[in-house]
Amino acid sequence: MYQSKWRIFTNHTILILGSLFMIMPVWIAFASSTHTREFIFQNGLQFWPGGHMIENYGAILFDPSATKGRVTALEMLFNSMVLGLGFAIGKVIISMMAAYAIVYFRFKLAVPLFWVIFSTLLLPLEVRIVPSYEVVANLGLLNSYTGLILPLIASATGTFFFRQFYRSVPDELLEAARLDGAGPIRFFIDILVPLSVTMIAAIFIIMFVVGWNQYLWPLLMTTDDQLYTIVIGIKQVYNSLYEGGQIPQFPKAFALTVMATIPPVLVVVIFQRMFIKGLVETEK
Amino acid sequence: MATVTLKQAEKTYPNGYKAIHGIDLAIQDGEFTVLVGPSGCGKSTLLRMIAGLESISDGEISIDDKVVNKVAPADRDIAMVFQNYALYPHMNNYDNMAYGLRNRGYSKADIDSKVREAARILQLEDHLERKPRQLSGGQRQRVAMGRAIVRQPKVFLFDEPLSNLDAKLRVDMRLEIKNLQQRLGVTSVYVTHDQVEAMTLADRLIVMNGGVAEQIGTPIDIYEKPATKFVAGFIGSPAMNFLAGKISGDCKHVTIGEGVRLDLDHDVSADQTVTVGIRPEHLSIAADGQGQINAAVRMVESLGAETLVYLDFGTDANNVTLRLQGTQQFVKGEKLSLTIPADKIHLFDVETGKRI
Repeated sequence: MYQSKWRIFTNHTILILGSLFMIMPVWIAFASSTHTREFIFQNGLQFWPGGHMIENYGAILFDPSATKGRVTALEMLFNSMVLGLGFAIGKVIISMMAAYAIVYFRFKLAVPLFWVIFSTLLLPLEVRIVPSYEVVANLGLLNSYTGLILPLIASATGTFFFRQFYRSVPDELLEAARLDGAGPIRFFIDILVPLSVTMIAAIFIIMFVVGWNQYLWPLLMTTDDQLYTIVIGIKQVYNSLYEGGQIPQFPKAFALTVMATIPPVLVVVIFQRMFIKGLVETEK
Repeated sequence: MATVTLKQAEKTYPNGYKAIHGIDLAIQDGEFTVLVGPSGCGKSTLLRMIAGLESISDGEISIDDKVVNKVAPADRDIAMVFQNYALYPHMNNYDNMAYGLRNRGYSKADIDSKVREAARILQLEDHLERKPRQLSGGQRQRVAMGRAIVRQPKVFLFDEPLSNLDAKLRVDMRLEIKNLQQRLGVTSVYVTHDQVEAMTLADRLIVMNGGVAEQIGTPIDIYEKPATKFVAGFIGSPAMNFLAGKISGDCKHVTIGEGVRLDLDHDVSADQTVTVGIRPEHLSIAADGQGQINAAVRMVESLGAETLVYLDFGTDANNVTLRLQGTQQFVKGEKLSLTIPADKIHLFDVETGKRI
C-alpha cells in the first residue's frame, strides 16, 4: 500500500505520543526511586535519575524494615512468583484437561457441562469471594500457597480457548494415533500437548499477569506477613507512608512499584517470541 | 498376510440413518480390493468399520477367521492411509513412522531398521529428519504409507489416499501403490470415487451405491457385464449411453427410437420395455452409411488420442456419445450413421435396473 510522507509522519507521531503516555508514569516512578526521601519531599517527582539507586533498591530487597513489615521485597517477589506461576500453570493444566474431556470423550453431559463451566464467567472471584473464603478456611488452607492458588485455578476462559483449539484439530489425527496404538493419555501427551504449544504460551502469558496482579484474594487469604505478595506489599508501604511523623518513604515505595512490574514484563517479552513464532509456523 | 471376511455387516447411526445395508464379502489373502462409488454411498464407512474406527451395528467382520467386532483398532493388526495423510505435524518424518512401533514396545534398534527399510523402499531416506510440512504432497503421502508399512500389518486400508494430489502425481502414486502392494503381498482395501484408480488398482472391485454392494467382481467383469444400470453408468468414462427400448415378439430384437430394430445375441422374454445400454467406444460409424441408427452431431471434444462426439438421436433428441480413436473432424448438425454390434448391447430392467 502506498503511504504518503504525511501519513507516515502522522502515524508515527500518534504512536510516539501514545508510547510516551504509557511509559512516562513508569519512568517517573523509576527516576523518583533513585533519590533520597528528603530530596523527593522537597522537590516533588523527578524526571531524571539520582544517585541513590543501589542504596534504595538494596534496602527494599534485603531489609525487612524498609517495607514496613517483616518481609523483604525479595521474599514478596518470591511469593508473587509462586502465585503467578501456580495460577498460570494450574489454569493451563486444568483447562487443557477439561477441554480434552469435553471434546474427545463424547459422554452425554459433555455439552451441558461445558455450558455450566462457561457460565462461571458470569461469576468472577469478587462475586463468590465470601463462600470461597469460607471453603478455604474450613479446609484449613488460610495462609498457605495451596489456599492462595487452588480456589482460583478453574478457568472458563482457558477451557473455552482449548476447546475451540481441539475442535480444529483434524479427527484423522486421533484416528491415526488410535491405529498407532496410542491410548487417550498417550494421545494427549504425545500429540495434543505438543500441538497446543502456542495456545499454552498465550494462555500462560495472560494468566501469569492476571495471577501476579491478584490483589483482593491474597489480601483476604493472607494474614501472615511471610505470605504477602508484592502487590499487597506496595499497598502496605503506601499505607504507612505518613506514619510516625517521619519524612515519607517515597523513593522506596516507588522502587517497590518498579520491581513489581518487572517480572510480568519479562514473562510477556520472553513468551511473546514463542507465541509469535508459533503463529508464523502454523502447525496442524 | 490375511483374509478379511464380512458377514451381513451393517451400520446404523444413532440417529437411525442406515449407512450400510448388510454386506457380504470375502477378501482373499494378498488381494487388492477396491471399494468404489459416488460420495455418500458408504464406502468410507465400510472401510472405517474394518479399521475399527466405526462400530459394527450388526453382522460380523473377521480378519483371519477371528471376529474383530469388539477388537480395538490398534489390536486388529491393520494400518490405514488417510486422505489428508494425518501425519503428526510436530514430529519429524522418522518419528511419524516410528510412533506406532514405539507404542508397541519395539526395541530402538528394531525400530530404526524397520523405519530405514521403509524409507529406502519409498525413497524417503533424505527426508527423515524433516517435518511433514516441509515435504510436497506426494512425499507426505509416501510418509503416510511408510507409517503403514513399518508395522507390517495383516491388512492395509487406504481411504482415498490420492485425492489430495494433482493429476500427474496421482498417476505416479497410483503405480507406486500398485507396485508396493504387489511387492509386499499384503491384503489391501482401497476406497476411491475415481473409477480410473478403481479399474487400474483392483484385483477385485466392489461398486457400492446407497450402502449396498451393487456388484463385486474383477474390473473387466464389471466393465463387460455390469449387473445393474447403476454400475453400467458409473464404471466407464464417458458413461454408457442409455436408450429406452422394447423387446420384439420373437424375443430376438429390441426396438429403439422410431422403429429401429437391433439384433440381440441372446433371447429375452417378449414385449417388455427395457433400458438399452451401449458404451460410447462400442459404437462405430458405418463406412457405407448403412448403420442401424442415424444421429446428428451436437458437439465434438477432441482429446488428441481420441475424439468424443455428442449426438442427438431420434425425435426426442436422446443424447448419444460416440468415442472414436484419433482426431477426426465433424461439422455441427452432420448426420452420422452408426453401427451397434449385437454382442455389445446391455439390457436392463426398467423397474429394478437389473441386467437382463
